[in-house]
Amino acid sequence: MYTIISSRIGTPGDVFTPTDDTNVDALIEGGFISSDKSAAKSAKTNTTKAPDAPSIEE
Amino acid sequence: MATSTYLSNPSVTVNSVDLTDQCHAATLTVKYDALESTAFGGTSRVYTAGLGDHELTVEFYMSYAASETYATLASLVGTATTVVVKPTASAVSALNPSMTLVGTFLEALPVLDAKLGELSSISLTFKGGTYAAASS
Repeated sequence: MYTIISSRIGTPGDVFTPTDDTNVDALIEGGFISSDKSAAKSAKTNTTKAPDAPSIEE
Repeated sequence: MATSTYLSNPSVTVNSVDLTDQCHAATLTVKYDALESTAFGGTSRVYTAGLGDHELTVEFYMSYAASETYATLASLVGTATTVVVKPTASAVSALNPSMTLVGTFLEALPVLDAKLGELSSISLTFKGGTYAAASS
């Protein structure tokens, strides 16, 4: 999601929805919009064995 | 006397950024290569449309302030972008169509053009791209 910073492309604070042909990187670099994208957290993996987990025997 | 005239006051948008208040000249030329299709029996040369070769020439006052001319254009030189011009800044209609070049290439950007005692102004040419006019 992108947020408008400059009034040249819309109302500051509003969400900016780029079209397919919009150069978003240029808008961010120019300070017209900000990216609200944050890196997605990876799922936690529990590597410790639960006390009541059955043991696997071959 | 002309029955209808147009006082030049178009709106100009480059990559979604409205630069109308920095623009003082704009010429959008819609052009197609003329391919000759004259055949034996014809008495005059005739042509058919080939590839489109559209072009927008604009002149902007240069400003290096935030959200102004340089900030808009610096990252676009050497890339293809979208430009939209309208005869006036009013809403798009049949009497105020929006004219768009999608994927038009900005080949060069004069990053500095200064003359003593004059407002700095730059001339840009957006080349190629797909042209479309919309009235709604």
